[in-house]
Amino acid sequence: MNGMTIGVIAVAVVLIVDVVLLLGLVTMKTVNRRRAQSYKLRRAGYVATLSRRLASSAAADPIEARAAADDAFLDAVIDLRNIVTGHEIETLAGIVDGLGLARRQEARLRSRFPLGRRLRAAVSLAEIGDETTATVLIEHLSDREPEIRIQCARGLGRIQHTAAIDAILERFDVEEPWVRARFADTMVGFGAKATWPLVAYIRVNLRPRDNEGVVEAIRVLGVIGDREVGPTLSGVLRVASDPEVRIAAIEALGVVGGPLAIKPLKATFRSTDWRLRAKSATSLAQIGDPSVNSLLARGLEDANWWVRRNSAAALAALPGGADLLLDAVGSDDLFARDAAGEALADCGALAGAREREEAGLTNAEDRVLLAHMTGQVLA
Amino acid sequence: MIGEILLWVGYGTLVYFIVMQAYMIGLGLRSAAVMRRVHHLERFGRVSEMLSSQTSPPVSIVIPAYNEAAGIVDSVRSMSIVGYPRFEIVITNDGSSDGTLEALVEAFHLERVRIPYRPDIPTAPIRGIYRGHGAVDITVIDKENGGRADALNAGINAARYPYALCTDADVILDSNCLVGAMRRIVEDRERTIAVGGNIRPLNGSKVQLGHLVEAGVPRKLVPRMQVLEYLRTFLASRPAWSQMEALPLVSGAFGVWKRSAVIAVGGFTSGHLGEDMDLTMRLHRHHIDNQIPYRIVYEPSAVIWTEVPETLRVLRRQRVRWHRGLMTAVRDFMPMTFNPKYGKVGMVTWAAMFLFEFLAPIIEFIGWITIPLAFFLGALNTTSLVVLLAIAFGAGLLNSLVALLLDESYGYFNSRVDTARLVVMALIENFGLRQVTVAWRIRAIIGGKRTRVWGNMERKGVANLGVEAS
Amino acid sequence: MREIKRVLVADDSDTVTTVLVTALELEGYEVETAVNGLEAYEKGLTGDYDLVILDQLMPGLLGLEVIDRWREEGCQISTIMLSGVDDDRTVVGSFESGAVDFIRKPFRIPELLARVRQRVQG
Repeated sequence: MNGMTIGVIAVAVVLIVDVVLLLGLVTMKTVNRRRAQSYKLRRAGYVATLSRRLASSAAADPIEARAAADDAFLDAVIDLRNIVTGHEIETLAGIVDGLGLARRQEARLRSRFPLGRRLRAAVSLAEIGDETTATVLIEHLSDREPEIRIQCARGLGRIQHTAAIDAILERFDVEEPWVRARFADTMVGFGAKATWPLVAYIRVNLRPRDNEGVVEAIRVLGVIGDREVGPTLSGVLRVASDPEVRIAAIEALGVVGGPLAIKPLKATFRSTDWRLRAKSATSLAQIGDPSVNSLLARGLEDANWWVRRNSAAALAALPGGADLLLDAVGSDDLFARDAAGEALADCGALAGAREREEAGLTNAEDRVLLAHMTGQVLA
Repeated sequence: MIGEILLWVGYGTLVYFIVMQAYMIGLGLRSAAVMRRVHHLERFGRVSEMLSSQTSPPVSIVIPAYNEAAGIVDSVRSMSIVGYPRFEIVITNDGSSDGTLEALVEAFHLERVRIPYRPDIPTAPIRGIYRGHGAVDITVIDKENGGRADALNAGINAARYPYALCTDADVILDSNCLVGAMRRIVEDRERTIAVGGNIRPLNGSKVQLGHLVEAGVPRKLVPRMQVLEYLRTFLASRPAWSQMEALPLVSGAFGVWKRSAVIAVGGFTSGHLGEDMDLTMRLHRHHIDNQIPYRIVYEPSAVIWTEVPETLRVLRRQRVRWHRGLMTAVRDFMPMTFNPKYGKVGMVTWAAMFLFEFLAPIIEFIGWITIPLAFFLGALNTTSLVVLLAIAFGAGLLNSLVALLLDESYGYFNSRVDTARLVVMALIENFGLRQVTVAWRIRAIIGGKRTRVWGNMERKGVANLGVEAS
Repeated sequence: MREIKRVLVADDSDTVTTVLVTALELEGYEVETAVNGLEAYEKGLTGDYDLVILDQLMPGLLGLEVIDRWREEGCQISTIMLSGVDDDRTVVGSFESGAVDFIRKPFRIPELLARVRQRVQG
């Protein structure tokens, strides 16, 4: 076997592979094109039929039997479910039941492959599943494919299957960050029903470090916004040593803390960690009690830039805070001036001053603010 | 005797090319494994739920703008409805002379403000800052001209959020691009410092009001060649590099950067012709030298569309610029090349960048000279030559076909016309067009006064691209 | 005053459009459609409609911007804003711009038809 023969064989191999790939490519494109066109037509047809049925039961066209096995029909149903509400949802649910659509997708999810079909099944069940789907969904919360796990949680949230809350929480610690974040979204969807399970989870799992699950749980509590967890979170703030946990608790307290949270937040506003100070400023503003104004005004002169900025934004949001900001605009501290100026611009005080200027009705404070704004900007 | 030497040198260059194509095929296969997931997500994943999530990290979209008055308003408007829960837009007016600033101020009702602007990265002087509060918070930094890198640095300085998406004013963002990119960050928030996106040529597509209506393959050969090029890079190379965590380049047209990391290395290098590659490699070097855990990845589903040069003239300027940027980077990062300290970046991807991107035109040029010379001196066996050329051509075609097959995950370009255009291009691209780009790059290496540095790309204003006359 | 009222439905989702067109036609309206803000704006100027149902989030011009531009042209069309975006800025902004009603997505078909009946001009 000399070099020439090897060379010729190599050429042949490469060119054959090329021809195979080329034919494969052209075939795939042709198939995809036809599929896409057919899908579009079928789906439009199904949407039209279903729309007529939803708009008026009298005008109901029969639904063809083949629709039951058609993914285009399923997609049409899902789209419509997201557009209409009220009695129409029941009509659609009736159609889903009558044709056994959910059962079919459950079977597909249970199969071991192909991935594409299983994923599509999970997505569909997340949209059209009912109480009887809950079992399958809970089973697959630990599926090996992350997207499927996300869709299962999503589905359980949509059907409000509260028994799943613990199953989902159990996975908080072992899950990868992206999936856990999507699980957290589902928790938010459960609302108040998730509150006490979350609190229990936090109590059990709080550690000196590696608290990603706990942090996520605290964030969820903040979003759900149930005031009753305020004292729990204040307790967490006291007890926890992990700064990530404390930051999360501070943020959540801004929403759920209420007046009782002001004392612990004032304490964290004096923390040596700038992140805690910065977040405390924001949370104090959210609680809305102007008694913290003078404390926040001192924050305008903090060594850390973010703390200054957040303190200014907080003052802009609190009753009476704008006055303190206007004082700061005239202060010697350049950064306090700029931070105050930005907050006043963002909250509309600047726009107000400019309007008054145009009407010729400026007061002393307006003039200070406007002078500050039109001054030379730093390079 | 001379003929023999020339012959072997000539063979050497052909073997070099076959090795290069083999490397790319290897990357392509590795990328295919990565793209399999993208394929499923593109078709079935519903990303819209993330849009109401309160827990996603906020992002500042940073846009440098120099004389973009034609399309900047439509562009910003379409960016402002990208799918993402929390973000702001920061535009740097880099000393435009065509009324870019005025157009922005008027369209978005911006007011001039003073805000604490911290020059973490030094830039050209700032003239003013403007803010607006419509559906999306918009900040415009007006500054003296300093170039794209400088404008990006100013935008990063002013950005409020921990992550900055650096992009261009004439880019069309796919509505899921930011979710896709941020997913890579949320996956590993501690370590992820940059995410690169998937850039697709807009030419030949139907655009209306700053939105992509239908993707299409351009009729003209120059942009069509680039469609294949971009597919080979973004579908068949970068996913593999990213999986090795050795991505040497996060493109300037779409990169999500961790602000603190960028500031720590001093931001984009002003005046550098390849500022995106330079920053990416500096980040690698900084983190490896200081033993800071990190990763820089690429997200194939973060798709954006941008106009590419339509004529050889504009394309030449772009390629000369790129190659000179590459030259500077090769010089700057020579100590990293083939240096095991720098892991896969030094030993594989940057080494390949040096060997196959930078050296390629030189070696190909040597081939052009030595092979014909060897032939005329009678030293060349025609059959051997044909065999080697056929393998090189076949392997090159293979790479393009792999890229086109990977592109099937997205479902664009399925019409008969598009398919035919792509196939034809894959077959003919090695007969002429590529050789021209090699000539330009040789020219770039030699340097010379005629090679202008920053040409004006004639912009149509992306928002108003009609259907290309077919 | 016309017997058969003309309605323009503007939404970029063809599913939404089909539902609305079907429901409205069954009620006896004459319905036309637009798929983006610019088309809605242009049709509204020349089309002589008794009512427009406008989606807020459309490519190109947003629903609010369309109403603003109509007002600039002195065009007064009874407009119902339809939107999945539920924040204050959108809702209040719609009314301030001159919309006569605001319907959230997802919507109930009978309720939408009732509001249309109330708001249609003429």
